[in-house]
Amino acid sequence: MEPLLTRYVREPNAFTLDFYLRHQGYEGFRKALAMTPDEVIEAVKASGLRGRGGAGFPTGMKWQFVDKKSPNPKYIACNADESEPGTFKDHLLMERNPHLLIEGCAIGCYAIGAKIAYIYVRGEFLHVQEVLERAIAEAYARGFLGRNVLGSGFDCDVYVHRGAGAYEAGEETALLESLEGKRAQPRNKPPFPAVVGLYNCPTAVNNVETLSNVPLILLNGAEWFAGLGPEKNGGPKLYCVSGHVRRPGVYEASMKITLRELIEGHAGGVREGRTLKAVIPGGSSVPCLLPDQLDTQASFDGIQKAGSLLGSAGIVVLDDTTCMVWLAENLLHFYRHESCGKCTPCREGTDWLHKILRRIEGGGGQLRDLDLLSSISGNVAGKTLCAFGDAAVTPVLTTLKHFRHEYEAHIREGRCTLPAPWRATRALEGVH
Amino acid sequence: METVTLTIDGRQVTIEKGKTVLQAAIESGISVPYYCYHPGIGIDGSCRVCIVKIEKMPKLQTSCSTVCTEGMAVSTRTPDVVEARAGVFEFLLINHPLDCPVCDKGGECPLQDFSYAFGPDLSRMDFPRRVFDGDGVRGDVDFGPTLMLNRQRCILCTRCVRFMRDVDADAQINIIDRGYGSEIATFQEEGVHSLISGNLMDVCPVGAITTRDYRFKSRPWDNPLAADTICTQCAKGCNVTAWIKAKPEWAKGSQLIRFTPRLNPDVNDYWMCDIGRFEYHWIEGERRVRKPLERQASGVQQPVSWDDVTAKLCDRLAAAGTSNPDGVRFLLSAHASHEELFLFKRLTEELVGESGPAAISVSWRYREKQQPAGTKFKVPAVDAPNVNGARMLGLVPGAPGDEVRGADVTALRQAVEAGRVTALYVFDPGPDGSLGDTTWIVEARTRGPLPLLIVQGVLLTDLARAADFVLPGASYVEKEASYTNGHGRLQGTTRAIPTPGDAMEDWQILVNLGTALGVAFDYKSAAHVRSDVTGRFSTITELQGLSTLAFNKPMEARHWLQASNPSERWKWDFMFQDLPPVKGNVDPTSLPLPPGAIPLKEV
Amino acid sequence: MSFHPKMAYDATFQKSARPLEDEGPAFVYTPANRARFDEIVRRYPPDRRRSAVLPALYLAQQQQGYITANAIRHVAGLVGITRAEVEDVVSFYTMFYTKPVGTFVLQVCRTLSCALNGAERVTEELSAKIGIPPGQTDPSGTFTLLEVECLGACDRAPVVMVNDAWHENVKPGDAARLVDDLRSRGEAALSGCHHVIEQKR
Repeated sequence: MEPLLTRYVREPNAFTLDFYLRHQGYEGFRKALAMTPDEVIEAVKASGLRGRGGAGFPTGMKWQFVDKKSPNPKYIACNADESEPGTFKDHLLMERNPHLLIEGCAIGCYAIGAKIAYIYVRGEFLHVQEVLERAIAEAYARGFLGRNVLGSGFDCDVYVHRGAGAYEAGEETALLESLEGKRAQPRNKPPFPAVVGLYNCPTAVNNVETLSNVPLILLNGAEWFAGLGPEKNGGPKLYCVSGHVRRPGVYEASMKITLRELIEGHAGGVREGRTLKAVIPGGSSVPCLLPDQLDTQASFDGIQKAGSLLGSAGIVVLDDTTCMVWLAENLLHFYRHESCGKCTPCREGTDWLHKILRRIEGGGGQLRDLDLLSSISGNVAGKTLCAFGDAAVTPVLTTLKHFRHEYEAHIREGRCTLPAPWRATRALEGVH
Repeated sequence: METVTLTIDGRQVTIEKGKTVLQAAIESGISVPYYCYHPGIGIDGSCRVCIVKIEKMPKLQTSCSTVCTEGMAVSTRTPDVVEARAGVFEFLLINHPLDCPVCDKGGECPLQDFSYAFGPDLSRMDFPRRVFDGDGVRGDVDFGPTLMLNRQRCILCTRCVRFMRDVDADAQINIIDRGYGSEIATFQEEGVHSLISGNLMDVCPVGAITTRDYRFKSRPWDNPLAADTICTQCAKGCNVTAWIKAKPEWAKGSQLIRFTPRLNPDVNDYWMCDIGRFEYHWIEGERRVRKPLERQASGVQQPVSWDDVTAKLCDRLAAAGTSNPDGVRFLLSAHASHEELFLFKRLTEELVGESGPAAISVSWRYREKQQPAGTKFKVPAVDAPNVNGARMLGLVPGAPGDEVRGADVTALRQAVEAGRVTALYVFDPGPDGSLGDTTWIVEARTRGPLPLLIVQGVLLTDLARAADFVLPGASYVEKEASYTNGHGRLQGTTRAIPTPGDAMEDWQILVNLGTALGVAFDYKSAAHVRSDVTGRFSTITELQGLSTLAFNKPMEARHWLQASNPSERWKWDFMFQDLPPVKGNVDPTSLPLPPGAIPLKEV
Repeated sequence: MSFHPKMAYDATFQKSARPLEDEGPAFVYTPANRARFDEIVRRYPPDRRRSAVLPALYLAQQQQGYITANAIRHVAGLVGITRAEVEDVVSFYTMFYTKPVGTFVLQVCRTLSCALNGAERVTEELSAKIGIPPGQTDPSGTFTLLEVECLGACDRAPVVMVNDAWHENVKPGDAARLVDDLRSRGEAALSGCHHVIEQKR
């Protein structure tokens, strides 16, 4: 499949409005303005576009749930807090093709009856924020944003809001809290943001890649879009391949593609002299797949069938030098650091799990620690306020399931049995 | 009322539409633990201990955040719920110090009680516990003028954060850091400065927030009695509980040990202010008048017997009244109850005639309190419980419900300073200062224009020290008396502790005095006085409630111990009405358990 | 009187051991920052000024290098929330410093993809070169070395963010050169995200 979202990202001026307009920029928005908002939602529904942030929820449905009858203003909150380890697609899109996102935001606003879209960019992406601000200014100057857009009578503002370092802000309700100037902690659901969202108003929270797909649907039709991928997995998809591969990067493909084509084809496979050990197919929060599962179709449904999740399509490739206990410790360090601390199981559980993993990796573990790890993980999973808890225990559960022997070897030998050269030479220090 | 019907553990429960599963469980006496939810603060969904199983839902749900729907089937005792809940309790306890023996909450701690009932049998945590400011009680740190904070004990339910933000409307408490390092704090450790800070101790479900006033003073099981009463320190009339600590055998008697608020949605909700909560020490303080006092020729006040004081007082009063019938004046605090105001009024009527009550002035202190503009718990500026009562009895102009400003006693003051008053009888049942400024009286008595000053009251104030006679009366926890609060609500106090020394209930003092003065008072009790009030003021409907007003008695604190934390008292007072184990005839334990349910441990 | 023999709790109450924010000098925005704030706050509904708390804190940090208690007071007044609420936010997000940091803050991504490509070694090399463990600032105040979680550039692992500029594909062997470069050339040595660099070419 020809790249659609990332077709021009290597062009020097792809981020400018002039370039964008020369390549059918804002055509989709014009088409949308000629339709009724409901027709736009119908088109997005018919396209089968599913959220690219992780959950894969149908975007058209999400928009339809927005409470139109509410007397309050409606909002689009674009989730550009890309923080899932192994994920870097939105980064590329916003930086090299910002107008596509802005156009998607404008169409989204029109569809749900909103006048304002906030793009919540993670704090570390200062350069992305600068690109977006410049692009937004261009769009205002040419009448694609502001009052009475393109003479349609529709008002639309798009603003960038910069986060400040919190993975949890990627959870949709935590993002709204953060946008409201509070700590990024999730809210109880229901009510869902579509009913009570930003400033207690109906809000659609959509990922960058999701919104960037919307102009394509309007431009080329829902049927075309749906036909790009397998059934219920329409449209182009961005895959982020990283870890132990020759050519890490963002690859755009139809979801008909297999993991093997992505890893061995696009990304060039593992490095010379190494063999594949495992693949994390959807960001650090999903279970890993084993080499014999490489022919899995890299679609939402394909990967789910194989026992994992497509998530944010952050494919982390692990070769045979990777110690899986170390991996679990590395990721639990991440989750422990990023747990917002609002609910008990996640706050206490991630810290406890990390301490145990650190002990095992440092050689001080005991066999009963393994049962303890599964038990604690079980007490966290499904008991937390948001999906973070399930995500956080996945690295523990998946490594225990497939690589229990590595844990046992650590405990038996009292040291890490697979200390790769790319790892620190120092001994594990205290938690910091 | 629109209702929905659901089943919880096989029991059919009908509840107001819009309420949550947790509320349904509580109201029907089904035990579901919770920490972050508080009926006065709201839902947070963060502690996760109230998880239950709801049919057709894939995951366990927090009952606090799930709204009841028709036909919903909830289980709280199936093995998956029991196991998951125990798991959450294990998490709550992995960093909670087990310093219960030295913790003020011990014995009335929801974390203890719920862990006992729902927690795991042992903890598998073998790493050192988190320590913030020091081990055990050494971790207690300054949390403002009224409170102390122990961060180790905190389970981050955020009730305190939300109380300050949503109820007091001044978000002084924050969380700092995040995740496992989260702590409760105030900006730059400034502490909580609020007129309603004491409520934070009530809402804290562990011993993290304690009051300086009560900490290390008693243990719940050393407070065998408690009396539901009202606070009379201002016009609000908060419903409170006075807790009574037993003294050791050799010391005899009992001691007032703390006040806690009692739910009354019409008056004070779940809260009370710090004035009512902490400023009670005068009741059993050193300055309390325990015997009648008479000023000797030497100028020294000497204790005398009631018989002596009554006789001498009558002589002096009669003499003053005979020489100048308009020269005898009364200054009553608006802390006087209906009974007391009525008796003063009757006394003047009997002695002087219809115009007698003109000799009575009523005073109170008026202080605007510094509070956040949006506070949901406004402390009135009128520091007296019964201005409206005085109005109904015709002693203060205005009708109940009219706005109350400062008291006006300028006419009396002018008369006193001009030497037109031959005897001033002041009634001041405390606390000190509640009459407003009284220095002019002291001045008038010492310099000469006022020849006779009588004070009936509880404290040896500067005013009482200047008096010729001091008659020891009762404070608001030592008598059954009635008051009409700022909103016109009639309420009564409870006799929680006895009057000290020879002090007497004020109605009795007045009846004795009246009798000695030749007035035919035949009241045998305060209740008797009240029925006469309703009889003589039959046109004032607000006073008719006096005949049926019920007064509480100090009770064995046993059921409060079961209810544990005083802040959880609402369950017993409000939601468990007519349900076991308080009263009623439905025993939930006698109901058949649903299939697969695990019986609970008895608390 | 206490029945607790060991705990003194009369006039002197134990104070918290928590390190407090540096009060710092009196803080007020420069006119330029004030104008910037006034512009940003217009993006949010008038009754939702609190939304501007993160941008307001960024401006304060830009002006002063880190967030002091006085800066918190200033921001609280501007967005109309309590100081405690601002401190709550400051402490939650990792990008606000409450202590002075070095001229260059080296933030090495330590999460999976970067670690798989040698980030731990990069940290070690940087640490050895500057002579401080991660989490500290060198005595000269030039460098602060931090380990941070996933920066979202896993295809260019390992990533080191220096202040707001990105240095990608940093090999352990490049660490010493990066430090030297920053020492000798100052801000001119700061790189940017690869896309930004490409655009500059």
